[in-house]
Amino acid sequence: MSGSNVKGSFPSRVSAWISSTYRFATDRNDFRRNLLVNLGLFAAGVWVARNLSDFDLMSPQPVT
Amino acid sequence: MVFLSSASPRMGSVLAASAAPAPPLPPGFGLPPLPPPATGSGPQREAKNVLPNPGAFEQCHQKCKGNGSGASEGAALRLEVTGSFSSSEVFPTQVNGVRLVLNKALSKHFQVNHSLQLSSTEDSGYRFGTVFVGSGQAGPAEFYPVLVGDVDSSGSLNAQVIHRVTDRIRSKVVFQTHQQTFVTWKADTEFRGEDFTAAVAFTNPDVLDDSGMVITHYLQSVTPALAMGGHLVYRRRPGDEASFLSLVGRYTGSNFVGALTLGWASVQASYYHRASDKLQLGVELETGAFLEDSSVTFGYQLDVPEANLQFKGVINSNWVVGATLEKKLLPLPLSLVLCSFLNHQKNKFHCGFGVVIG
Repeated sequence: MSGSNVKGSFPSRVSAWISSTYRFATDRNDFRRNLLVNLGLFAAGVWVARNLSDFDLMSPQPVT
Repeated sequence: MVFLSSASPRMGSVLAASAAPAPPLPPGFGLPPLPPPATGSGPQREAKNVLPNPGAFEQCHQKCKGNGSGASEGAALRLEVTGSFSSSEVFPTQVNGVRLVLNKALSKHFQVNHSLQLSSTEDSGYRFGTVFVGSGQAGPAEFYPVLVGDVDSSGSLNAQVIHRVTDRIRSKVVFQTHQQTFVTWKADTEFRGEDFTAAVAFTNPDVLDDSGMVITHYLQSVTPALAMGGHLVYRRRPGDEASFLSLVGRYTGSNFVGALTLGWASVQASYYHRASDKLQLGVELETGAFLEDSSVTFGYQLDVPEANLQFKGVINSNWVVGATLEKKLLPLPLSLVLCSFLNHQKNKFHCGFGVVIG
C-alpha cells in the first residue's frame, strides 16, 4: 500500500514541480525572479552563440 | 553596414569619423598582432609590448545595439551619412511604415539626402539632410571635419559637427531643435592616449537656469585584450543635483567581444560573437533597478554577399520578435528594406518598408 502511495505521489510531485517552475518562470511581478531568469537566458544565449554557430550556409549540399 | 551611395569612397568613409566603426575591424577592436620573436635586446623587446588604445567608450556595447545615450545620435548620423537603414550593430533597426530615402552626392565633399516617411505610429513627414566631409585625412578611412545636418518640414533641426582638433583630440558638437526651441546642445571632447581614452561632454549647460549635465568617460587598456574604465554623469537642475557612476569592462577575444557595465542602478552586459564572415551573433542583458525591469535580447546578422542580402533577426525576453531584410537591387542603385516586429505580449505588430536610392 505504501509502495503504491509512493508511486502515486511521485508523478504528482513531478507535475507539481513542473507547475511551480512554470509559474516562477512566467511571473513578471517579481524583479529578482526576472533578473534570475534573464541571467540564465543570457548565459544560454552566450552558450548558443559560441557553440551552435559554426555552420556554413553557403557550403555545397551533400550529394545523396 | 551597407553603404549604397554612388559617391566617391571619401563620402562612403564618413562614418568612420563618427561613433560607429565600419568593417574591417578598426584598430583596438580585435587582438593586436602578436609581437615578433624576441631576437633583440631587452629594451627593444619591451618597446614591442605596447598596450593598444582601447577605442571610444561608446564602442564597448556597440557591436550589439550601441551605447544607450549615443544610439539615437549614431543611428541618425548613419542614416544621414550612408542613407542606409542597416548598421554595424547586430540587432535590427525597427522601421515603421514606409520610408523613401534619396541620396545624391554633389561632389566628393558634399552630399544631400531627401527622406520621406509615412507611418501611423511615428511622425510622418519630409526631412532634408546634408553631409559635408572636409579635406583633412586622419587615416585610410577617416576624414575630418564632418558636418551633418537635417531639417524636417516643421523646422526642427538636427546638426552635428565632428572634428579632429589634433592627432589625439577629437571634438563633437550636437544641436537639436524642435521648431524654434533648442532641445539639446552638447559639446564633447575626446582624448586618445597611447593606451587610454578620456572624454568629457557638456550637455545642455544653462548658466542662467543653473542646470546642465557633465559626462566623463575613461577607458584604460589593462592588457591587450582587456580594457576597463568608468563613466561618471553629473546632472544639475534648479534645486536638485545628482551623480551616477558606473564601471565598465570589455574583453576582446579572437572573434568575440564581451562587455559589462555596472552602475548603481543599472547593469548592462553584452556578448558579441563573429562566427564567420557571414554570421554574427549578439546577446545583451539590460537591467534597471529604478524601473525594476530586466530584459535579454538575442540577435543575429546574416550576410549573403552572393545575393547582396543582409538579414537581421532578434528575439527578446519581453516576447518581442523582429527581423529586417535589406537587399541591394543591383545593377540599379536601389536598396530594399523590409522590417517586421511582433510583440506577443501586447499583441502588437509593426511592419515597415523602405527604399534607398543612391
